[in-house]
Amino acid sequence: MNNSNSFFRDDRKSLFIATAMAIILVGVAPYFLDAYLVNVLIRAFLYAAVALTVDILWGYTGILTFGQSAFFGIGAYSAGLIFTHMGFSTANAIVAIAVGVGVAVAVAGIVGSLAFYHGASNLYGSVVTLVLPIIVTQIIFSGGNFTGSSSGLSAFQSFDFSMELWFWISGLFLILLTFSTWIFVRSDAGSVLVAIRENESRCEYLGINVSYVKICLLMSSAVIAAIAGYAFASAQMVVAPEYAGFVFGTELLTWVALGGRGTLIGPVIGTLGIDVSTSYLSGNLPFVWKLILGIIFVLVIVAMPRGMAPLFMRRSRRAQGDLMDKKNPVRIDRVASTVFEDSKVNAIELRGVRKHFGSLKVLEDITLNVRPGELVSLVGPNGAGKTTLIRCISDGNERSSGSVLINGHDIGNRPPYECVAFGIGRKFQMANTFEALTVVESLRIARTRLHRPSFADRAEFLELPDAAAKVIVATGLDKELDTETRNLSHGQKQALELAMVLALEPSVLLLDEPTAGLTSLERNVIGQILTELATVHRLCVVLVEHDLDFVRQISSRVIVLHQGKIVLDGTVEQVVESELVRTIYSGGAQSIGGHS
Amino acid sequence: MKNPGLLIALAMVSFMGTAKAQDAIKIGVPVGLSGANSVVAPSVVQAAELAVEEINAKGGILGKKVLLEVADDGSGAAGALKAFDSLIFQKKVNVLISMETSAARNAGLAVVSRGKTPFIYTSFYEGRSCNPYLYVNAWVPDQQVAPIVDFFMKKHGAKTFFLVGSDYAFGRGMLEFTRSYITKMGGKVLGEEYLPMDGSDWTSVIAKLKGAKPDAVITSTAGGAPNVTLTKQLRAAGVTIPYGNLAVDEGTAKSMGADADGIYISGSYLTNIDSAKNKEFLAAMNKKFGANLKTPNDLSVPQYEGIYAYKAAVEKAGSTDADKVIKALAEVSVDGPRGNIRMNKQRHAPLTMYLGQVQKDGTVTVIDVFKDVDPGDQCPNLK
Amino acid sequence: MSILLDILTTAAILYVVAAGLMIIFGVMKIINFAHGGFLTVGGYSTLIGTMIGLNVWSVLLMAFGTGFFFGLLIERFVVRPLYSRPLDAILATWGLGIILGQVITIVFGREVQVVPSPISGASELFGVSYSQYRLILVIAALIIAGGLTLLLGKTRLGLETRAVIMNETLARALGINSSLVRLITFSLGAALASLAGALITPLSSVDPNMGVPWLINAFMLVMVSGVSFMSLAIACLVLGGAQVLVSTYANPVLGGMTIAVLAALMLRLRPKGFARE
Repeated sequence: MNNSNSFFRDDRKSLFIATAMAIILVGVAPYFLDAYLVNVLIRAFLYAAVALTVDILWGYTGILTFGQSAFFGIGAYSAGLIFTHMGFSTANAIVAIAVGVGVAVAVAGIVGSLAFYHGASNLYGSVVTLVLPIIVTQIIFSGGNFTGSSSGLSAFQSFDFSMELWFWISGLFLILLTFSTWIFVRSDAGSVLVAIRENESRCEYLGINVSYVKICLLMSSAVIAAIAGYAFASAQMVVAPEYAGFVFGTELLTWVALGGRGTLIGPVIGTLGIDVSTSYLSGNLPFVWKLILGIIFVLVIVAMPRGMAPLFMRRSRRAQGDLMDKKNPVRIDRVASTVFEDSKVNAIELRGVRKHFGSLKVLEDITLNVRPGELVSLVGPNGAGKTTLIRCISDGNERSSGSVLINGHDIGNRPPYECVAFGIGRKFQMANTFEALTVVESLRIARTRLHRPSFADRAEFLELPDAAAKVIVATGLDKELDTETRNLSHGQKQALELAMVLALEPSVLLLDEPTAGLTSLERNVIGQILTELATVHRLCVVLVEHDLDFVRQISSRVIVLHQGKIVLDGTVEQVVESELVRTIYSGGAQSIGGHS
Repeated sequence: MKNPGLLIALAMVSFMGTAKAQDAIKIGVPVGLSGANSVVAPSVVQAAELAVEEINAKGGILGKKVLLEVADDGSGAAGALKAFDSLIFQKKVNVLISMETSAARNAGLAVVSRGKTPFIYTSFYEGRSCNPYLYVNAWVPDQQVAPIVDFFMKKHGAKTFFLVGSDYAFGRGMLEFTRSYITKMGGKVLGEEYLPMDGSDWTSVIAKLKGAKPDAVITSTAGGAPNVTLTKQLRAAGVTIPYGNLAVDEGTAKSMGADADGIYISGSYLTNIDSAKNKEFLAAMNKKFGANLKTPNDLSVPQYEGIYAYKAAVEKAGSTDADKVIKALAEVSVDGPRGNIRMNKQRHAPLTMYLGQVQKDGTVTVIDVFKDVDPGDQCPNLK
Repeated sequence: MSILLDILTTAAILYVVAAGLMIIFGVMKIINFAHGGFLTVGGYSTLIGTMIGLNVWSVLLMAFGTGFFFGLLIERFVVRPLYSRPLDAILATWGLGIILGQVITIVFGREVQVVPSPISGASELFGVSYSQYRLILVIAALIIAGGLTLLLGKTRLGLETRAVIMNETLARALGINSSLVRLITFSLGAALASLAGALITPLSSVDPNMGVPWLINAFMLVMVSGVSFMSLAIACLVLGGAQVLVSTYANPVLGGMTIAVLAALMLRLRPKGFARE
C-alpha cells in the first residue's frame, strides 16, 4: 500500500506515466523522423533545458535574467577549448565537463553576490545579468587564435556517438530535468520561490535570507546550463561566441514568455516549437516569422503576462489536476507557543537613534528600553515617526545614527532577516502578504525559518504555535486554508499576516495597526492573544495603534511620539490624563478615550 | 496524453523532409545574406544564377535539370551550422558550392564531413583548410600577398608596415602570412591590430597606426561591412600612406566611392580583364540582370566557374556519387572569365593574379599581371 | 593629444546616443529597449534621404521626424499599459526593437548598406591631424545638450516635465496632464535616438542590427547618470574615456566592455551613480 508520504504516491501516478511516455517517445523517435529533424531536435532539447532554468529564475522567482546564455557558452567553450588544444580522450572529456561546471558555478557565485546583495533593486539584478553575457563574449573575442575569436572553434574531435545516441542523451536530459524540476516547484521549497517573487520584503522579515536563496538558484541554474552547453558543443563540434551572447540570452526569455512563464511545461514546449519551426523556414520567411514572433511576444508581455500556456492549459484542466500532486487537505498541528525565560536582558534597547532624510529629521534622539513581558503601545499623530521607529528597530540599515539592541544583540547594520534571527517579528501597516499563495502555504513560508521545507514534497501537516492557530480560528481562516490570499477580504489578510508573524515565534513582536479592518469580536480575541503572549509567554509586544480603546484595554505602557521625539512614556492612566497629549492630539478639548 | 497535437505536428513535419524524389541536381549555396558578407553575397548569388541558367539551357547536367538552393549562413559559425544542416539534411543537395567567411566555412566543414557532401569553396581565404570533401578554386595568400608587398617595397620604398585585420581565422591567417613575407623580404612590421568581425569602431586601432608612423598599411578584414567602416574611418582620420587591402573586391570598392581612391588590391579577377570569355560573361550578366547587376568580382566569378567545374566533374564521373565526383574534380578544368582553371594542386588551383589600384570612379587600373601562380603546399596530406 | 581628442569625441558620440534614452528613463522610469531599433530607424532614414538627394540638414530633420512619429505610436499602444511593470517594459520594448529590425529587413533587405559621409578628411587641431567629422559630433553633442537644457529649463512643457519627474501624483493633482507629458517625452526620446542613428551613420555602415551594440552602452550610461544632463555628460566623459584608454593601451576588444563593467560595479558601490543626491 502506498504510504501517503512516499515518493511514488498515488497522486503522482500521472506524472510518472507522462514521464514514461515521454521517454518512450524519445526512444523511438529517431527511427521515424528524418535526419534533419533529429539534428534540429538535439539542439532544441538542449535549448529547452536552458529555457527551463530561465523559467525557474524568472517565471517562478521573479529574477529577470538575460545571462543564462553565458553559462551555456561557458560549458560549450570548455569542451571546445579542451578538445581543440588538448585533443579528445575520455580523461579530457571528464576534465572538460568538470572545468565547465566549475567555472560556471564560480562565475554564478560572483555574479549572484553582485546582483542579489541585500537592498539591490530588481532592475540592478537584471542589469548585472545583462552585462554577464557581454563580458563572456568579449573575453572570447579577446582570445585571438586561442579561442578562435569571431570564428569560433570547429573541427575538434569529440565523442564518437551517432546522431541517434545524441538525440537520446539530450532528450533524456531534458525529460529528467523537467521531471525533477516539476517535483521541486510543487514542493514546499518551491513555494518559497513564489513567495520571493510575490513579496521579497515580507520574506526578509520572515527570516528568509533572500539573497542566499537567489544565489543558490543562480548557481544551480548555471550548472544545468553549462552541462547543456557542453553537450551541445560535443554533439555539434562547433562553438561560436553567439552561443554565449546577449542575443541568445534574450531569445531564451522570448521562448519562456511565449510558452508561458512560471508553468515549466510551457517554456519547454514553446522552445521546442519555435526552434523547430524556425528551422524549417527558408528564404525571407524566417524574417516574417521572426516578425510574427516579435509581435506575439510584445502582445504577450503587454496583455497576457502569463503567456499562452493558460489558454491551452484550460483545455486540459483535468490533466493538469492529475499532474499536480492532489492537495491533501493540510492538517494544522497546534504546538504550544514558546515561553521565553525572563532574562535580565532588555528585549529592546534604543540609544540615541536618529533618522533623517537630508535635512528633514524624522526621528530625534530616541532612547528607551523595553523589558520582556511588556505590552507597549506607540501612539502619536500621523507623521510622528511611529512606523519609521518600527523600521529602525527591525532593519539595521534604516537608522541614520544611534544603536539598537534586541535581546542584548546589537543589530548594527544587519538586514531584516538577521534581525529576525535575534527574535524580531514585524507586522506591517498595509497587509503585507503573498497574493498568489494560499493561506496554508503562506503560513508554511512563515515557518520556513524554523522548519526547513522539503525539496520534493508538500508536508501533510503544518505546525503552528497556539497563538497563531488561535488567530486563524478566531477569524475564520481555518475554513479558508486553500484559498489564495488575493481572494481574502482585507481584514482576513491582516489576520493572516498577524498569524504569519506569530508563526515565526518571535520574542519581540512589532505590530503596526494589528486590528485595522477587524470586527470588534475579532479585536477582542486579538487583544486576549496579545495579552497572553506578553504576560504568560513573556514576549515583548510593541503596538502602533490608532484605536485608542484597544490601547487602553491591553497596554501596560504607552509611549507618545510627536514630531520624532518621545514626549511621554508611562502607564495608560498617566498618558490618558496628560494635558500635553490632549493638546497634541486634538484642538485641546478631548482627552484620549473620552467622549466630548 | 500531454499534447497529441504536438505529436501529429512532428509526424507531419518529418514526412515533409523525406518525400522529395531525386530527379534534379541540387546545388546548395550557403552564403552570408546577412552579416559581414551581406555586401557581397548578392553578387555571388547572381553569378550562381547565371551559371545555372546557362547550364539548364544547354540540357542540364547528365540530362538532369539543375536547381539552386540558397541559404543564409549569417556570415558566421552559428548561422553556418544551421544553413549547412538545412541544405545537406533537409534539402538534400548534391553539392555545396559557395563562398563563406572562414568562420562559416570552418563550422560548415563539420557538417560536410558528417553529410559526406562535396564542397567547392569559391572564396579567397587564408589557406590550409583541408577536408576530404573540400575543393578550392580561389586564391590563397601564397598567391596574393607577394605582389602588393613587393610593389610597396620597390615602388614606394616602404620599409615599415602596419597590419590591421578582423579577428578571425581569415584576418589572422592572412596577416600572419603577410608578416612572415615582409620579414623575409627585409621589411619590418610595426604593429598588428584586430577588431572582432562585427566590430565597427576602429578609433583606437587608427590611433595606434598614426602613432607608429608606418610607411604603408595592409589590411585584411572580413569582406563587406568591416572593409567599408575601416576605409571610411581611415580616410576620415586623414591616413594617406599607401594602403593595400587584401580582402576587398571591386564591387565593395565601388560602393565606397571616393574613399576607395588609391587602394591597392591584388586578386584573380578584374572586370576589365581583356579576354573573350570575360567579355562574353559580362555581356550575359548584363543581359540577365540589367540595372540590378551587382558588379562581378573576385568573390562572385569563382562561384560561376565552380558550378561549371562541378558540371565537368559529374560528366567525367558519369554520376553524382560523392566519391566519384571528388576524384573527378581534380582532373577537370574550366575555361572561365579568369582563364583556364584546374583544382589540381592539393585541392587548390594555380591562378593568374592581377595587381591593381582603385580609382576615384571605382574602376581598377591594372598595374601588373602574374600568370599561373602556384598555390604552394596547402594540403600535403590530400592529393 | 590625439588620445584626448579621442576621449572627447567618443564621449560626445555616447552622449548623443544616450540622451534620448535618458529623458525617457527620467520621466517614465522605464528603460526603452527599443532604443537600438530607433537608432536603426535613423540610419535607414539617412539612407533614404541621401538617396532622394536631400541636403544634410533635411536628412537630419527627416530622421528626427521619423523617430518622433514612431515614438508616438509606440508609446500610445505598447508602453502606456506597462507603466507599473518596469521589468516587463524592458522586455516589451526589446520585442519592439526586434519588430522594427525585422520590418526594416523585410523592406530594405538584410544586407549592409553604405551611406556616403557629408564631410570627410581630417583637419589640423592643436598640432594634431584629426577626423573632422568626429569633431563636428562634439559640436552636435553640445547643441543637443544645450537644446534639451533649454527645453527643460525654460519652457512650460519643460516645467511640467520636471514636475512629473519629481512627483507624478502630485503633478497630476495640480492639473498637469502627465499622460501628455509622457507621450511627448517618449516621442522626443525616440526622435533623439533616430537623430543619433543618423549622426553616427557616416562613421560606420547601415544594417538592420546596427543599433544593438549601442543599446547596452547607452543603457549602462543612463543607469549611472540618474536624471541629469550634467551627470550624463560626466558619465560619458569618465566611462567613455575609460573605454578609449583600455582600447588603446590594452585591447580594443576589452575596451568594448569597459563601460558595461565599470557601470555595473559603480552602481554596486554607489547606487545613485554620478547623480547628486
